[in-house]
Parts: sequence; C-alpha cells; structure tokens
Amino acid sequence: MFYRETGQFKSKYKEELAAFPLAEDKVGIAILLVIAYVFIPLFGIPGLSFEFTMGAIMIPVFIFTITTLGLNILLGFAGQISLGTGAFMGVGAYSCYKIMTIFPDLNIIICVILSGLVTAIVGMIFGLPSLKIKGFYLIVATLAAQFFLEWAFIRVAWLYNYNDSGGIEGTNKEMFGLIVSGPQSDALTRYFIVLTLLVLLTWLASNVIRGRIGRSWMMIRDMDIAAELIGVRPLTAKLSAFAFSSFYIGISGALMVFFWLGAAEVESFDVNHSFTYLFMVIIGGLGSITGSYMGAALVWVIPVLIKEIGKTAFGFDAFVMENFSIIFLGVAIVVILIVEPHGLARLWQITKQKLRLWPFPY
Amino acid sequence: MSEKNSVIMEVKNINLRFGGVIAIQDVSFNIFEGEIRAIIGPNGAGKSSMLNVINGFYHPQEGEVWFNGEKRPSMEPYQIAKTGIARTFQNIALFKGMTTIENVMTGRQLKMNKNFFWQMLRYGPAIDEEVQHRRRCEEIIDFLEINHIRKTPVGSLPYGLQKRVELARALAMDPKILLLDEPMAGMNVEEKQDMSRFIIDVNEEFGTTIALIEHDMAVVMDLADRVVVLDYGKLLADGTPAEVQSNQAVIDAYLGVPH
Repeated sequence: MFYRETGQFKSKYKEELAAFPLAEDKVGIAILLVIAYVFIPLFGIPGLSFEFTMGAIMIPVFIFTITTLGLNILLGFAGQISLGTGAFMGVGAYSCYKIMTIFPDLNIIICVILSGLVTAIVGMIFGLPSLKIKGFYLIVATLAAQFFLEWAFIRVAWLYNYNDSGGIEGTNKEMFGLIVSGPQSDALTRYFIVLTLLVLLTWLASNVIRGRIGRSWMMIRDMDIAAELIGVRPLTAKLSAFAFSSFYIGISGALMVFFWLGAAEVESFDVNHSFTYLFMVIIGGLGSITGSYMGAALVWVIPVLIKEIGKTAFGFDAFVMENFSIIFLGVAIVVILIVEPHGLARLWQITKQKLRLWPFPY
Repeated sequence: MSEKNSVIMEVKNINLRFGGVIAIQDVSFNIFEGEIRAIIGPNGAGKSSMLNVINGFYHPQEGEVWFNGEKRPSMEPYQIAKTGIARTFQNIALFKGMTTIENVMTGRQLKMNKNFFWQMLRYGPAIDEEVQHRRRCEEIIDFLEINHIRKTPVGSLPYGLQKRVELARALAMDPKILLLDEPMAGMNVEEKQDMSRFIIDVNEEFGTTIALIEHDMAVVMDLADRVVVLDYGKLLADGTPAEVQSNQAVIDAYLGVPH
C-alpha cells in the first residue's frame, strides 16, 4: 500500500541502475537527511540533553557506522573474515596523528583521508594470508595482525612522538576560521563533519558494491572456483576488498580520536573492540549497507541509553548499570539472532515487503 | 550441421596424475570450430578432469593444449577465461547470494575495465559501461527465456532454472568455446528437451563451439557432431555418433564383457 513499485516504470537501464529506483526510497532518504542535518542539530533528541545527544550518541554512532561499513565490505561482501578491526582503527588514528605532527598545517580532513589510505596499505599487507587460507584460519591470521599492531602501538614510541603518557592527543585544528577538532572545538561542528563524511562514504561504498568491483567481491564470497574460471583474479579481488575495507576502518579510527574522544591510548583499539564491531556487522546484517547503520546504532545506543536512564531516572550506581547494560545487550543479541539470523537488515526487508500489501494480507 | 573442419582446439597426449592415480593417460583429440563435441564415458573415466585441463584448473604433467592454432603456455584459470573459454559445472556453481541478472552480469566481468575511481563515483564511463553490458545480458536472458526470474535470488530457483542461469552466465562471456559439464544431469524429460533446444540454438545462432559431457546417450547422439569416448582415463573411440555406437570397444565398456 505504502511501498509499492507498481506503476513506476523505467524505460532506461540507467534509471533502473540508480541508487534509489523507487520514489518511496528517494523520499525516505530525503527525510532522513533532513532529520540528520536540520532537526537533530536544532532540537536534539527529545528527553536528552544536547551535549549527551551529540557526544554520547550521534557522533559515536556515525563513526562506528563507518567502521561497520568497512568491516561489512570485507565480511559481508567479500566473505573474508577479520578480527583485526580494532587495530586497523588504531592504524588510522596513529597515522593521522603522525601526519598531523609532520605536516602541522595540513587540513585535518585531508589528514583523515590520508590516514585512511595508510590503513588501506596496512590492511592489504595483513590481507595477504587470505590468498591461501579461509574461514577459521583467516580469523587466526587477522588476530595475529591485531596483536602485532597493539604491540606496535605500545612499543614503537615514534608512533606517539615519545610522549610520557604513551597515548595520542588531538590539538585544536582550524578550518575556514572555525575550530573543528581538538579540546576547544564545538560538538556541533564535529557532528556536521562526521555526518558529511559518513554520507559521502556510504554513497561511495554503495557505488562500488553495485559495480564491477563489488560484483567481483561477491563472486569470490559465493563461489571462489567459479569466480576464478570466469576471470576474476583472486589476488586482485581479495586485496582490493581488504584495502577498501581498511580505508573505511582507518578513517573511522582517525575520526574516533580526533572528532570524538579527543585522546586515545592503545586500549581503545584492543581486541574487545574488534569483537564489538563484528557484533555490529552481524546484528545489522551481512552484506547490507542499511544493516551497517542499524547494527552500529543498536549495539552502541542500547547500553548508553540504559546507563543514562538508570543513572538519571532511578539513581543507580554507574558500576551496576554498566554490568546491567552488558547483560541486556547480550540478551538482545541472542534474541535478535534467534528471531532473524540474517540480522536487522532482513527484518527491515520483511517490513518493507509487508508494507507493500498492508492492510491486505496478500 | 555443415561440415566445418578448421580446428579451434586440440589436446595432444595429455597425461594427468594425482600422486599414483592416473586420471588421464595419453589422450589426444581435437575440436572443430562451430561443432558440438561430446565427451562421454563411464563414471571416473576422466571426462571432468579433461575439462578442468582445458580451462586450466588442472595442469597436466605431460601434453599440450593447442588453441586457435597456437600452443598454449601454462596459464591460470582467470587468464584462460580471457582467451574465450567458458564453462558450466556439474554441481551448479552459481553465486547464490546474487540475483539472476547479477549472476549473468558477472559473465561480463572480463569485458569491463573502468577503474576504481569511476566505479566509486558510478558516473560517466562506469555507468555507461554498466548499461552497455546490461543490454547484452538482457539479450541473453531473453534468448534463454528466463526474463521472469530476472530479479530472483538464484538460491531460491528450481534446479532446472539454475542450470539455465548458469548457461546464461557462461554465454555472457561471449565464449569461443563453451564447456558444458553434464548440462542435463538430474533433469526430467521436458527440461532435457528445453536444454537440448537451447544448446542447439546457441550453437546455431551464436556459432559457439560447444564441448559437452553428458550421460544421457539419446541426447548425446542427437546433439553431437562428433563424440569422444573415454574409459579409465584412456581414449576409447573418437568419431561420429554412428561410428561410436557401432564401436565394439565402446559397447564393451558400457555393457561389460564376460571375462
């Protein structure tokens, strides 16, 4: 009823290949963009303070969505599993820090993108084992990457400029006369930058996935032997997936430190975080861009909201709420996976299917 | 079918061993341009291994493959795909997570070359290329009468249709030689008739050379211009269907002989 393709005729392939061939989708995306760009900055989320909305919900969710998109490209589209996501974010963060030290006058956005490229190269190197091994064995190889990189973040003092704290810290960075990063930057400015990058990166990812390169990833994922006999070179396909995915993860790592936390140590990039990002991808739905958004939002927002509500409404101890939120998230994940093993993206797809016919049963 | 005698592919004295197991022993035969060539033989005769040698998945210890009048150097499967050899598989090897049209589009993979930059923007050359290849894929989909399942994920299609989608994907490569590994395995009579019709149509309309493995003798004898018979990795007979049918060694291999 509300979501029907009936009557929307296409007379050119180009129209059918568009990102949103249906009018309903176009309207939906436009509404979401207006909410993100206008309503949330103006009104925030009802019932929550503006600072909390930005600092604890919106900015981290956007950053983790970029991470999840990156991991989803690798895991959901190219079928190569990785447990090194946390460390690859670290590569992005540390390389952004180094780039900023070496070129202090360089625009921070360019620094962030360059650090994404550095991470892409590192990801490609650690993706090399995927040419020979698959599945569980590849998990072990990427886990080795995780531990090696963590070690490097502690032991290679050059990475954090030999400072005593052993961590990295953002300084005030200006862009067009506006402080965009660092301790004195305004949350709203950072919100707009992160949001814009997210929108841009989502668009690029959806383009690549629907084209030749995206298809070559899915071919390798679904049936690697047939892919090879059709002419896909496994080396190119797998390494390009690792590179593209690491690019996203690196950018998200740099954003996390310089547009959200402000400072970070090696703990922000440990293996527990890798698992969290894996959760986000699986809960959201493998091989789905919409799912990346939903997974990141759900896994991040639920514990934060529970903690906040417990603290303000019931006056519970923060420590108690911390444990309670972990329990709740665990239960939520199990329930969701039992109800719909293919993640939230599939649930959304079923909803759309239902909306086509509603209120009629068939 | 008219007499065509230019050899497009020739295998010479192929020997393929897996450790101590001899899969193919000293087999030679050729394929004429534009013909339908059948490879038959009992189970384990080395038919599928032969196809795997032709498209580079196995590297024979001895022997040569001549293609287009040139001796082919040792190549990887993705390089051989570029030379114009496509195949289908005995157990369907479709990309299960993709729809029919996406599966057929994968066949055009080698003909697309726009780089990452354009792919990311999906604008200009990249989208033009996509549209241009989409057109060819739609023609093939039309040809094989699978329009109605264009946007269905292939995993949920019935077996016969999956086989047809696989044929479509191979055809989308515009191959010079099409290798079909048991295209009619597990089909009912009606589906076999459809498939036979499509194979003949492909051969006649596109002029594609076809080499096929098949167990259904009635189908083989009707379709094939010439037949190779393998048994225990050795060449048993080579000739027209009538010649092969009357060959005593072939009859013995299929029916058994008293010892």
